[in-house]
Order: sequence, then C-alpha cells, then structure tokens
Amino acid sequence: MHYVIVGNGVAGVTAALTLRKRDLHARISVISGESDYFISRTALMYAYMDRMNLRDLEPFERKVYDKQRIDRVRGWVRNLDADRRVIQFEDGREITYDKLLLAVGSVPNRFQWPGLDAAKEGVVHFVSLQHLAECERLTSSTGRAVVVGGGLIGVELVECLVHHGIQVDFLVRESWYWPMALAKEEGALIAGHLTRHGVKLHLEDEVTALATGPGGRVSAVKTQKGLDLPCEMLGICIGVRPAVDWLSGVATPPEIGRGIKVNRSFQTSLPSIFSAGDCAEFARRDGSPMLEQIWYAAKRQGELAALAMLGDAVEYTPPLFFNSAKFFEIEYTTVGDATRLPDDAKSFFHCLPGEAASLRIVERQGAVIGFNMLGSRWDHTWLERWIQERRSMQEVVQQLHLAQFDVEFGRTKLDRIRAAFAEYQERDRRHVA
Amino acid sequence: MIKTGTTHWLLHDIKNRGITAWLLSGLLTAFYLILYFTEWFTPVARGIGLDGKWTLYGVLYTLAVTLGGVYVIRKYRHNRYQVVRTSVVIFVQATFAFSIPHLLKFLHQPEYYFSYFWPLKMDYLTPSYIFSLPLPFILFSFLGSALLVPILGAFFGKRWYCSWVCGCGGLANTFGEPWRHLSDKSSTAWKIEKITINTVLGTSFLLTAMLFISWGTGKSNPELARFTVGFQSFYGLIVSSMLAGVVGVGLYPLGGTRLWCRFFCPMAALLGLVQKFGRYRITVKENMCISCGLCSKYCEMGIDVRSYAQAGKSFTRASCVGCGLCAEVCPRGVLALENKSSRDPQEAVLVQIQGANAARPLV
Repeated sequence: MHYVIVGNGVAGVTAALTLRKRDLHARISVISGESDYFISRTALMYAYMDRMNLRDLEPFERKVYDKQRIDRVRGWVRNLDADRRVIQFEDGREITYDKLLLAVGSVPNRFQWPGLDAAKEGVVHFVSLQHLAECERLTSSTGRAVVVGGGLIGVELVECLVHHGIQVDFLVRESWYWPMALAKEEGALIAGHLTRHGVKLHLEDEVTALATGPGGRVSAVKTQKGLDLPCEMLGICIGVRPAVDWLSGVATPPEIGRGIKVNRSFQTSLPSIFSAGDCAEFARRDGSPMLEQIWYAAKRQGELAALAMLGDAVEYTPPLFFNSAKFFEIEYTTVGDATRLPDDAKSFFHCLPGEAASLRIVERQGAVIGFNMLGSRWDHTWLERWIQERRSMQEVVQQLHLAQFDVEFGRTKLDRIRAAFAEYQERDRRHVA
Repeated sequence: MIKTGTTHWLLHDIKNRGITAWLLSGLLTAFYLILYFTEWFTPVARGIGLDGKWTLYGVLYTLAVTLGGVYVIRKYRHNRYQVVRTSVVIFVQATFAFSIPHLLKFLHQPEYYFSYFWPLKMDYLTPSYIFSLPLPFILFSFLGSALLVPILGAFFGKRWYCSWVCGCGGLANTFGEPWRHLSDKSSTAWKIEKITINTVLGTSFLLTAMLFISWGTGKSNPELARFTVGFQSFYGLIVSSMLAGVVGVGLYPLGGTRLWCRFFCPMAALLGLVQKFGRYRITVKENMCISCGLCSKYCEMGIDVRSYAQAGKSFTRASCVGCGLCAEVCPRGVLALENKSSRDPQEAVLVQIQGANAARPLV
C-alpha cells in the first residue's frame, strides 16, 4: 500500500502520522513544493520578527520522519491521473499511489486592481515561506507600507512591519476591524490598540488603484475615499482560497467547487482520492459549501481523513466552533457564535477598565451560545462545555472562575465582571418590563 | 529577520552565537578561571575596601541579578507571575545570598547562606564543617535538605527553589535572559541530560556518604580519610568550580543559561525526582496549540514544550524549573503552570454539575 499525500501542511502531516500509527507497513509519501519539512505557518510572523529562526518553525524534529518512515518528496505536482493512479510533477517525475490525499491548502486572494499587473515588485502576501522570503527581501528598502485586509493575517503582517520600523497604513473595507469574528466594541478595542502602536487604520476604505515607480516597484495606493498613500510595499491579506487552480488542467480533475468537493468521509469524486484541510469543500446540510480554513480544522481533518483512508467509517461533523488569535499583545479566544447573531440573542459585553481586555457572553433562549474573550486567558474547553450543556448566562458568570487560565497572580478580577453582569441583568429586566 | 541598523545587528549577534557572543563567552570564562584559580582579584577587592575576592564576586553577582532582574521585570511587566517571581529572586539574592551572610560574619557568626542547601552546597552536609557550627545552623542544614526541600518540591515542584530562590537560577533568569533560547531542544540533548545530571547526583550522594563514614571512623582508617579528602577536592574542582562556574556561566552566550542546572546540578536532579511525583505540572489546553514553537524556543531547560502542547497533553518534566516563560510567550494562552492536588478540583465540581443537571438535554 502506498499512501501519497500532496501537501506537507498541518493537515497533510497530521494525516501521515495518523496513517503510520495504524499501518506500520505501508509506504507513506508526503509531497511539498514549499518546503522540505513541515513548518508552522502560524509562526511565520515570529521568524519575520527575529523571535525565531526558520528551523524553529518545524514542529517536529527532523528525525521523526525517518523514524516514522515517512518519505518526503519535494516538488510541485502538476498532473493527476486517477485511472492510472499516478501523479506527475512539474519536472515530469511520476509517483504511483494506492490512496491519495490532496491537502494542498490555500493561496492568497487577489483582486485585479488597476495597476496591479504593472507592479513587478513590492506587492506581497504573507502565507508561505516564499512570501516570507519576499517580505524580508523588501523590508530594508521600505519606509512606508500599505496592508489591505481586515483579518488575522493582515494584522500579523502589520505587526511585523511595525516591528521593523515601517510606517503602516492598514486598509479595512468594513466599518470595524474583523467583523467576521469581532463585534463592533471588540473591533474598536483592537483599533485603539493598533493606533497606539502607530498603525494608521483606515476603516471603510479600499484600494482603487496602484501606482508604480522605477523598476516597477509599487509607489502608492489610491483609495476609494480619495487617499493617496505612498508606499514601497503593499501587503494583500484579503483572505485565502483553496489552491485548486492546477486541478482544472489535469488528466482527471476531481469535482471542484470553491475547493475540492468531498463527502463527509473526505472522499473526492475520484476513487481512492481524498482531500482535507483548507482546500476541502464539504456540503452543509442545506447544500451550501462549507470550507474550514483555520489551523485547528486542518489538523482535525487531517487526522480524520487518514482514518477514512484506512477504511474506517468516518462521518465528519465540525465540532463547536472555536478559534484563537493574537493582535499585537492582545490575546483572543472565541467559542461558539459570538458575532452576526440572530435577533433573539442577547449579549453581555464588559470591557475591563484600564486594560485592553473585554469579554462577551452571548445567550439565546436562556442558554449561552458563544463567547468572545479579549486580553485574558480562558480554557475554551469549559466554555464549550457550558454551551453544550445549555447553561444560562447567570450560571456561567457564577462559574467563570473555573475557566480562567491567566498566569498565577495575574488572574482577571471577576468581582468587577460579576458586578457589571448584575447591572446588565437589572437593565435587561427593566427593558423587558 | 534582523532589524536594520548596527545596534540591532549587534543585539542579534550577541544573542545568537555570533562573534560577539563568542567574545563575551571568552570574557566570562576567563573571569571565572581567574576568580577560581588565581588571586588576581584580591588586590582589586581590597582596593575598593572589600575584604577579599569572594566578597567582590558577591557584589558583582548581586549587581548582575538586580540589574538583570529590573530588565526582566520591565520586559514582562504585564505578567504578574514574572514580576512576582523576579522580585523574589532579586530579594533572595540581596538578602540570604549576600547581606545576611556578611552580617553574620560581622556578628562573628559563620558565614551561612540560608538560600543554599545540600547537595548544591556540599559543605552543609559535610560533617567536619557542619558540626563545627552552632546548633541552629546544624538544624537548619539537616532539616532544610531533609524536609524543606522535598516537601516544598512535592507541593510546588522544583520551581520553588530553582526559579525563585536559587542563586544559579536567579542569575540565569535575570542577567542571562538574553540567552535563554539557546538551550538545545533535541531529544539527544535530553538523553544526555538524564545521564549527566543523575551521574552528578549519584556522585554527590557517594561523596557525602564517604565523608560521613570517614568522619565516623576517624583516625582508625587513614587510607579512607585520605581518599575521601582527595575525592572531595576533585568534586569541588570539577563540579563546583568548573561545571557550576566556568561552564555554567561562562557558556551563557553559547549554550544558554541553564547548562549547569540542566546537565549537572545535583540539587536540580533531586528536586526533579520529587517533582515527577509531586503536584506541579504544566497544563495544556486541548486542541488550542498552533505549533508555533515559541514555548520550545524560549524554554531555558531545552524542553520541547511544543511536542506536548500540540499533542494536547498536560505534562510534568523533571527538568522543568517553572520559570513560566512558555506560558508567557504562548500567543494563544495554551499553557499554564499549576500545582494540582491528585484529585482535580475542577473535575470534582464537574461531577457535581453533571449530577445536578442530568435531566437537562444536551445539544
């Protein structure tokens, strides 16, 4: 049996290790065009800021791959022939598989702004090792930069650029930062924090055109609100999309939607070919596409896809949503539904006075459904449990100490939060009355 | 990527085994060799009104801990654990490890360091020395090593000592802060560490046993006495001078700050054994790790914290000194230092909750 995995990101490598755990004899090959060894993409920013070196980004010791007998193959796959069970590299090399996992991840979105094609230099993304190298190459010749896109990767790139003393204009299309994940109040809290770090945040504004200077290097960005922002670097961080473009031209393309279409057992439309991670597209119960493009989901999917490849009956259902992030110094934990809420949801929001910290607990029909926590640490497994057990907000606030995860001596004072909650309840009662 | 500019290059270079790091390491090593094996510092000490080179060393050491400590407190000022811990480190160094012994000497009492215990300080269980002291000191030595060290270790792990009280750890966590990330994280280093540190521990036990036997048998066995004296000075030279001083501090800029604590210190080995069976642990939040590796990178003991964090496994490692930096640098708040009783109080509450709500339907 030869398991071939295209992509050595967290989904692919987790799958490989899971396969080995169960099948001691199979041949397992992991293919990557990006790097020889699995790296933690989430840590690219720390390499950019010299808090780590590239080798530190590797989550496993190199000898693990030998010990686990996982063959690493370097190269970009360009062709797939499901009839012959063969994949082919850019340079013509071929590999035969028995079972194939496509864990090819995603690529940054681009938007065809006028002037983008003319910009031969200075336009960057921040998703891969190659992007990191490009950013580093340009950094010393950059005094000002514009970053577009109000998501997590955008703010990571902003942090790195600020670290290197670059003046950053941060363009966010929405009316506050990251409305996908944060409500208006949290968005404002982060905006204030970014401003304190010297970032010029422009909300409700977007790029309309690029100007280029000598050598085709980007020199300015024009915006819808009429700003003309000079810059030597433009970071485009407007989300990612599955890296599936190459699949349209292969001998036997699997069914593609926004990503590679799979059923709940990670099977694509082609026999013995599976897909997991950023690039996998599931169908929701209502038929709409579901893509989970976050680290945790990729890891989870990689493990389950491996089980499916081994022949286990797998029926993937995403667990209760959770995610985490860090915006400069502010840590963020979210569980369940905390934004874009239905009308009958109620939300208790409290900003800790004097701190860049807040918490939001959302309740619907007497049961908590979501948490958004900024600036303090919480054990999300407790928050998940409370949602699953349909606890009331009242119960949750009383039990909140159980979920605290701050450092010793540094626990967030809960009495103020509880006092604020009592006021909130009072307001709520009066409102109902 | 290094920030542009000479200052930033220099800072990177000295922190990352560059040419300046080698130079500094050479200087530190030379300092320790001169201190241990010559009297060159004696006139210097007398010149500034101190009574000898060891007092001069004490002054410099305390200064390094204090200044480094102030830097660390500033750097981690948002983290109460680091602020409290570092303040205690500075306090202990300035009092128990410096002023109090000198005050005792001034009062014609033995120069006794209440912050050191056997087997780190072999003297404190060397019969010929310890029994020459007044009774309170004898009691403190024996009770300290036999009761205080293991009991506190069982409750709080080795951190109560290694990263809160000990002078070696104190210097590493203050003056040594810029080099903490240089520790070797490989599994090979871990294997070596287990051999070397337990060898030193075994040797220290053997030496102490021989010291007692030779003291007990007295003049009746001159052969043994002679051998023990030789063994004692050999141990003093190799372990206390070379490994703790020259290697331990001299190699800060090349091998990281806890080479001594990790590979050689018998006290750390002993506390590590206690820790393995005690309450202390690092709790890992399940499924929340993003494998970034900052925890491993900044672990001064070379523990590959990430390997536990990404597996979602709470753990106790004998070598962990509980400095708390892994929890500090983790960008997703995955790690927490805890002293758990055997029955997790959270689990106890959980059972209660589940019992009370058994009738409630789950989603």
